[in-house]
Amino acid sequence: MSDDTRILSVRGLNVQIPIPGSTLWPVRDVNIDVGRGETVAVVGESGCGKSLTALAIMGLLPRQAKVQSEALRLNAESLAEASPKRWRQLRGDRIAMIFQDPMTALDPCYRIGDQMCEILQQHRKISRSAAMKRSLDLLGKVGIPAPEERLKQYPHQLSGGLRQRVMIAMALLCEPELIIADEPTTALDVTIQAQILRLLRDIQRETNIGLLLITHDLGVVAGMADRIVVMYGGEVVEVGTCDQVLAQPLHPYTEGLVRSIPVPGETEQGEALGYIPGIVPRQVGERTACGFVDRCPYATSACREEPIAMRDAGDGRLMRCILPTDGSARDPDVWILPDETSAQGATNSGSL
Amino acid sequence: MPEVLTMRGVTRDYSVGSGFARKQTLRALRGVDLGVERGKTLGLVGESGCGKSTLAKILLGVEEPTSGEVLVGGKPIQSYDRIERARLIQPVFQDPYSSLNPRMTVEAIIAAPMRVRGEGGRSLQAKVHELAGEVGLPRHLVEAYPSQLSGGQRQRVAIARALIGEPEILICDEPTSALDVSVQSQILNLLHNLKRQLNLTMILISHNLAVVHHLADDVAVMYLGQIVERGPSRDIFEAARHPYSDALLKAVLPPRAGVRLPEMGLEAEFPSPVNPPSGCTFHPRCQKARALCAEQAPCRTDADAEHSYRCHFPNNLKDEECPQV
Repeated sequence: MSDDTRILSVRGLNVQIPIPGSTLWPVRDVNIDVGRGETVAVVGESGCGKSLTALAIMGLLPRQAKVQSEALRLNAESLAEASPKRWRQLRGDRIAMIFQDPMTALDPCYRIGDQMCEILQQHRKISRSAAMKRSLDLLGKVGIPAPEERLKQYPHQLSGGLRQRVMIAMALLCEPELIIADEPTTALDVTIQAQILRLLRDIQRETNIGLLLITHDLGVVAGMADRIVVMYGGEVVEVGTCDQVLAQPLHPYTEGLVRSIPVPGETEQGEALGYIPGIVPRQVGERTACGFVDRCPYATSACREEPIAMRDAGDGRLMRCILPTDGSARDPDVWILPDETSAQGATNSGSL
Repeated sequence: MPEVLTMRGVTRDYSVGSGFARKQTLRALRGVDLGVERGKTLGLVGESGCGKSTLAKILLGVEEPTSGEVLVGGKPIQSYDRIERARLIQPVFQDPYSSLNPRMTVEAIIAAPMRVRGEGGRSLQAKVHELAGEVGLPRHLVEAYPSQLSGGQRQRVAIARALIGEPEILICDEPTSALDVSVQSQILNLLHNLKRQLNLTMILISHNLAVVHHLADDVAVMYLGQIVERGPSRDIFEAARHPYSDALLKAVLPPRAGVRLPEMGLEAEFPSPVNPPSGCTFHPRCQKARALCAEQAPCRTDADAEHSYRCHFPNNLKDEECPQV
């Protein structure tokens, strides 16, 4: 991607949180680029650091968290040196965020219209009536029926799907260049999810906004993303286009995830599903080995010798694994394990 | 096969509104007929607010139906006392972080249903250990507290607790929704194996159709307190008759390359159960709706002995076969 189409550029992002006795290291050396009009999905399970990465990019982490980066750039501007005042100008204006649960993100004490106007009046020299007019337009644009009524309502009077539409409208108020959506549809019903995703995608295509989509749901990713960034244990373990990663995952973690999801029409009823044995380890201290080694069915002694560096896998793909990049060492059956107990026995004896 | 569980015309009303608000009746279930045969798994799908959880509560005896009857093993559910009912029917809840008592050890949690019945001692302890092994809990975790367990392990504890009394019916309300995908698949494998080994009858409530497809023999689709389609899993997934079932199936996003976001065609919002639409309650959201749908509620139609639906204009009908208005 050339520099002039790149909206967000994150290099070597680290987040460290001091806890009694040691330091948690939930985000390590993360690189992410988002281009104009591009959707980049950050995928991973709970505890992989995807939400903290998003908060770090928004400058929303609490002061105790130590955020370091080689570069954190929005267009040409470096955010790493931005003052709190500058951050407040940027957030809601140039970068907007859509949270998972619109009920907690909206203020229950204020009418929808007041909350929307506040954002506009914070960032623009605009009269209240003009701000109301723009809010009304946007509510209509995100497909909310009878928007005039909604402006006067409180969040609790809206359904979950409508609230999420309001969140999207609020994110669009100042025509941002980047929207970060953290699990935007997880709290919604499947039927509403599809509608909200379509809305997000249509708006993004129309306005050429960069979208950073944080999600654990590979199905959502398949429908939305241009590129995928897979995170595990605070690190990026694989990067590629959506089709590349889903059709031929390179990192064993990605492969395990894809193998563990039942798909009607592909997997038979009751067919043994693959799974990733073990649990996500706590991220403490320096890496001395591959972060995934204890759960990886392909692990060898070489994986334990040193931390694994990100490497080029061809076709613009990146992976943090020493396996061959052509997928020749892969065996789909390694993920079908008898059951957790025996699998744990196997990893224990393997590490002895 | 005899039905272990039968529901006939089950209706449940709630009174909503308090203070100055006018009292209104919310009909959460409107005449549900449902039967489950021994050893079968019935998947119950629908959006939030459709009455899935009310149905589960009635089956568990936590709520009583306003009208209609629930038969368990041929006898009305009210004829069993609390302990008997708990022996027959056990739940597995969605969130293993809140369904386990944080102050009890895993062993005590799993043993609790038996202690309620007055059992105890060595034989119970041995049974707990055996069952913990069967659900895949490592031996050393039996003495642990829930806070020391991962989400998947907690759900295994919840399943072991449900199974210790050898219930006939297991009611799983979103058993995997709170879990990560790689863990979800382990629990699905476990439930499938247990169902086969123990010949369990299971009601699986889920909004995730992939999960339902994976475990259920039969599927019932609920909309606004009614079963709108019911049939063998294969029939529903391959040849759904009701437009709503169709929409739910379309909403499944498989994690595969080249998948497009579905054209849902469900633009309107889920209606309020306090003030349901006239006629077929689905008609405001249905793309195939015609004048008749707003006037008259469709009756249950049998496609064959096992498959039935409630729709005036089901998917397989050609235009000329549709009822004339």
